[in-house]
Amino acid sequence: MLWEAIGFYSLAFFLIFFAYKTITAINPIHSALYLVLTMIGLAAVFYDLGAHFIAGVQLIVYAGAVMVLFVMVLMLFDLRAELRAFSRGLFSGMLKIISAGLLAGIFFAGSDSSIAILDTPAAAPSADVSRQLGILLYTKYLYAFEALGVLLLVVAVGVVAVSRIKGGTHARH
Amino acid sequence: MGADVFEITVNFVKMVAIFLLMVQIVPLLVWVERRGSAYIQNRFGPNRVGPLGLTQLLADAVKFLTKEDFVPGRGYPFIYYAAPIVAMIPAALALNAIPLSSPVHVEAFEMLGQTWGPYVFLAQGYEFGIGVVFVLGVSSLAAYALLLAGYGSNNKYSMYGALRASAQTISYELAMGLSIVGVILLFNTFNFTEMIAQQAGPLVFSLFGHKVEALSFLPNWGIFYQPLGAIILFAAMFAEANRLPFDLPEAEGELVAGYHTEYSGFKFNMFFIGEYGHMFVASLLMVIFYFGGYTLPGVNPETVGKWFADFSPTKASLLTALVLHGVLMAKVVFFLWIFIWVRWTLPRFRYDQLMDLGWRTMLPWALANTILTAIFILIARHPWGS
Repeated sequence: MLWEAIGFYSLAFFLIFFAYKTITAINPIHSALYLVLTMIGLAAVFYDLGAHFIAGVQLIVYAGAVMVLFVMVLMLFDLRAELRAFSRGLFSGMLKIISAGLLAGIFFAGSDSSIAILDTPAAAPSADVSRQLGILLYTKYLYAFEALGVLLLVVAVGVVAVSRIKGGTHARH
Repeated sequence: MGADVFEITVNFVKMVAIFLLMVQIVPLLVWVERRGSAYIQNRFGPNRVGPLGLTQLLADAVKFLTKEDFVPGRGYPFIYYAAPIVAMIPAALALNAIPLSSPVHVEAFEMLGQTWGPYVFLAQGYEFGIGVVFVLGVSSLAAYALLLAGYGSNNKYSMYGALRASAQTISYELAMGLSIVGVILLFNTFNFTEMIAQQAGPLVFSLFGHKVEALSFLPNWGIFYQPLGAIILFAAMFAEANRLPFDLPEAEGELVAGYHTEYSGFKFNMFFIGEYGHMFVASLLMVIFYFGGYTLPGVNPETVGKWFADFSPTKASLLTALVLHGVLMAKVVFFLWIFIWVRWTLPRFRYDQLMDLGWRTMLPWALANTILTAIFILIARHPWGS
């Protein structure tokens, strides 16, 4: 238990450090790269807590695909106007206060169950875990799952529509 | 890690050995690449230094180590130095999670006045229980090395290379992941060793509860169940490893050398090791998914174990693992040669052709393959929901 606790808390320390650097880094690309490290650390924490399949999916989807797109888009665009818009003004001030409140809430809730999180149920073979996950997704949570699919489809169609209006290689003439 | 000192030591040595296997195969592959390209183009290739030009590699290594260490003045030094190291990590992590042979069973023995209990050593660095998913997840991180290199160099050509690399990797990762879903459905497991075990033996299709044994002279390999998936996976692997015809990120005619324009000496060599490591992992995955892994018709852990029945169980198990490792490596070397062969045969794609191939051809075919496999398995293996 002691070694598990040391492992978990050192992982958690790195995770919080990277997350902190994500929001304090001035350069947007450095910030995104810290977010990548945060995502990889999150996968490690999932693995540490016994959710092996979720850890793998976290690596593939978030660290491997979503964040590559983030970094690529940040490299493509000049973000000075957006940087100014989010560094001062009423709107960003409100955002800062709200996120500070959320962080405080998470902190108090988390400190309540700080070591109990390591009491994971006895580990089942991970193939069975992913099988149970699939069965749950397609029975109990079917409507939520399908609704998410529809939402993503709407987003994809919307992005295509917007990018065709704004011009580009596949624009309508 | 292991229960006692001996097991921990062996497991650690195993990981280091597999990493060194990946690093040491690079000079050999470079030699094969140069001699092979010369053979394909009707030239001689390097043949002056040592027998068959083999010691050319040593000369290259000395050159790499003694070159001037150059850092671009306006770049980001930390990111610039980190990129070549990041390039080696994904391939090394993925390679350690793939079994290179059958497990070695060690009987209890006496050493240093103590009995060391029976062990089972897997022929891989570690077993995470999610096999395929871990390998996919780790190798999807490979794009960061190119992004970091392009960004850290602060050079237009490097940046273009990095942008191309990331767009290409994302596009082909989808087709790659979907073609592997077909394999996972077919074998009904994430575990590489179980996949290989299912491919030992003759080819017997099971249809609606009947066995079709007409083709039982063939081995029970995945290629006969998933031919389309195999082709898509292999093509996507070329794109993931940034090999020709998909080496747009380092297209020398347009971008000087793409993302590694500013790198020289050993840092450049580390990008090279990463690329060849990806080829190695890709060939291993092809062999394990579609070509029977370390088995051949009549050669699987049980039959080979019988060849060495005269030896003590520990020795027999070790020799079996060695023979099967040889079988696996022979197949892997064949696929590595195809990688080199294709590189010196096909010209590079244009960028829009690359994107069209990824999104409009390979992705729909991979999706169709997944859906058809799922429907077919549902009907043929579990007729009407039994």
